[in-house]
Amino acid sequence: MKKVILYVNQFFGQIGGEEKAGVEPEIHEGQIGPAVQFAKELDGIAEVTHTIICGDNYMGSNTDAAVAAILDMLADKEMDLFLAGPAFQAGRYTVACGTICKAVKERYGVPVVTSMNEETPGVDMFKKDMYILKGGNIASKMRKDVKAMANVAKKLLAGEPVGSASEEGYFARGIRHQAWRKDMKPASERMLDMLVRKLNGEPFVSELPIPKIDRVPIAPAIVNLGEARIALLNTGGIVPVDNPDRIQSASATRWGRYDISGDKELRGGEYKTIHAGFDPAAADADPNVITPVDALKELQKEGVFGSLHQYFYTTVGTGTTESEAARMAREIIPHLEEDHVNGCILVST
Amino acid sequence: MRLEIGNFYVKDIIFGDRLSLNDGILTINKEEALAYIREDDRITEADLYIAKPGDKIRMCPVKEAIEPRVRLDGRGLFPGYTSELAPAGDGVLHALKNCSVLVVGRHWGGFQDGIIDMSGEGQKLTYFGQLNNIVLVADTNEEFERHEQQKKNDALRRAGHKLAEFIGACVKDLTPEDKDVYETTPMIRRDAGIEKLPSVVYVMQPQSQMEAMGYNDLVYGWDTNHMLPTVMSPTEILDGAIVSGSFMPVSSKWSTYDMQNTPNLRVLMDAHGKTINFLGVIMSNLNVALEQKERAAQFVAQIAKSLGADGAVVAEEGYGNPDADFVGCLVALEDAGVKTVGITNESTGRDGHGQPLVTLDEKCDAIVSCGNVGELISLPPMETVLGELQALARDGNSGGWDYDEVLGPSVREDGSIILENNGMFCGDQVVGWSPKQMMEF
Repeated sequence: MKKVILYVNQFFGQIGGEEKAGVEPEIHEGQIGPAVQFAKELDGIAEVTHTIICGDNYMGSNTDAAVAAILDMLADKEMDLFLAGPAFQAGRYTVACGTICKAVKERYGVPVVTSMNEETPGVDMFKKDMYILKGGNIASKMRKDVKAMANVAKKLLAGEPVGSASEEGYFARGIRHQAWRKDMKPASERMLDMLVRKLNGEPFVSELPIPKIDRVPIAPAIVNLGEARIALLNTGGIVPVDNPDRIQSASATRWGRYDISGDKELRGGEYKTIHAGFDPAAADADPNVITPVDALKELQKEGVFGSLHQYFYTTVGTGTTESEAARMAREIIPHLEEDHVNGCILVST
Repeated sequence: MRLEIGNFYVKDIIFGDRLSLNDGILTINKEEALAYIREDDRITEADLYIAKPGDKIRMCPVKEAIEPRVRLDGRGLFPGYTSELAPAGDGVLHALKNCSVLVVGRHWGGFQDGIIDMSGEGQKLTYFGQLNNIVLVADTNEEFERHEQQKKNDALRRAGHKLAEFIGACVKDLTPEDKDVYETTPMIRRDAGIEKLPSVVYVMQPQSQMEAMGYNDLVYGWDTNHMLPTVMSPTEILDGAIVSGSFMPVSSKWSTYDMQNTPNLRVLMDAHGKTINFLGVIMSNLNVALEQKERAAQFVAQIAKSLGADGAVVAEEGYGNPDADFVGCLVALEDAGVKTVGITNESTGRDGHGQPLVTLDEKCDAIVSCGNVGELISLPPMETVLGELQALARDGNSGGWDYDEVLGPSVREDGSIILENNGMFCGDQVVGWSPKQMMEF
């Protein structure tokens, strides 16, 4: 039988109301408050072995101590899944549920599930980190909210795929995947429905809600270019002909860096592009058209800038996701910082 | 214009003495068909197979799909491409339904080729898993591109188009089971009842981003890279005026079969006179340089406005760079006061966290989204492979790889495969088939 532990606040833990909101965390064997209904919902799949109770004010004002204490309490417990709440529209309680779920997930690697009302601060703070079911605004919705949490918990415990956010009723986590619609309605019919609704001024739901665009501010100009160290990076796929880092030709997840110190030159036949999104003929014949090492060395000699970083960095841009690109940048940046690079030229294609 | 398509539903395909259709059973004389294919002396090796739904067959590398048809007036199926230039969109044709001709490389694949499975979990990842397929597996003497990642696949693709025409000829003199009639009237001379309905244009952005010739989609044989947006009749599209190309990761591509049947067009034509006044098609394209993208979007918006369109639908054959053309076109139309719906796929990556399109704009508030090119797919071995499975890993397929320290190679020794959705043949079905949808998790 799988094992589940539930976190609740002082009120739902039946210690008391606002006057008891300062109580420190405690752990009890067995089920208290909502844990009883969770046990019923999960009957035959998992047992709710313990209930943890903590005052909302204590968690809010002594977060580090509260989290540390609870993580210690869990250290010797068997646990396949961790639940918190449901927290309804209680602001502090939603933040507490999110905080402890995130900490437990990170420390013990078990799935976590909670529930809050959309009007609470916990939703935006934690929805990308966990399954937060869309909960009611008052405690009379307890039965419904517990059931919704238990439904997702059951799938996680059984290792079954959890359905989409709209199917299961949780807040979207910023993760988008393709899936088959239950009604198998083809795109053409979805298009016509959406079009007619839009034309008639009726409400419609786009299948691609436009996320907020992550804009990077333009960096301030380099004050003294004559002394600056410059690095060359590219998403045009210029690599030594044997592609030693096996960078993919599209949807890249890999990058490489190649020595251009001293009098090294980029010659066709020694370097080439492995980018599959453009005609490679010109870049294969002369890799400098993408990574202009020849021109940079010339400009350095003329004193236009101070020095050239010893390596150029390569990945492939075509089909590469923004998240993978950001990850690769985070891996590359420490190398540039270590060599005190002042400015970068990033060549796209 | 009036296009009548007589439908012959294929229930089974067998090899036999005489090319014929009887009671839904298509019989093909294999040697006769292969002799016809070998008339192109670039074809060095060719064989025919049959692949039906439920068969334990995997095809790789798949290059093209075509619906077998015949024009009753003797005009070729693909004017300006496999036959002399002539107008399309008017007249009578007969079509073999639930049936396609597939072209598979005997050995060599490339960036733009794909996978089709006829059973198991992979069957539903392409439209062609549910069709009765005549499969041409062939090789050519096109040495210049044998080891190129980007292949024109010219001999193989043309062989497929010609084979579809060759097979379709067997129903020329037969009576179809039923027929679809697609009729258009001049945009400015329509009944008052229809005029009252909101008017709509369908904007196609076929793949045209290769600067070198021989890779892009063709309109009447003309490379779509070399055109500016223009007005076409939907019946021309359904009647072979446009053929598929050989560029772009294949899940985003539209095969010629897709063009011949474009569900989005058929839905709009069915809705004409009921909920909308369907004006017709604006044939645009996808471009490389920013100014080219903006120029095309500007033309589309101007044409839509000049035609008096209240609404538009924009469909994009590609992802990544062409998202800029797609979003740019949607924004230009919205700015011109045309209420617009877009149809596309997304690239949110294996973990689903990536930005869906390369560029975004809040004006794109109505989008139908058909798939994630980066979705990781594992498929078990199949009893039969038509073609050469290693092409997925070896030849630079957009969905495959030959090495990954965590996942291993795309093609495993036991014949099971792991790939990105990018490699599923025309899998995202932006032309309108797609029962897949992008969802939030």
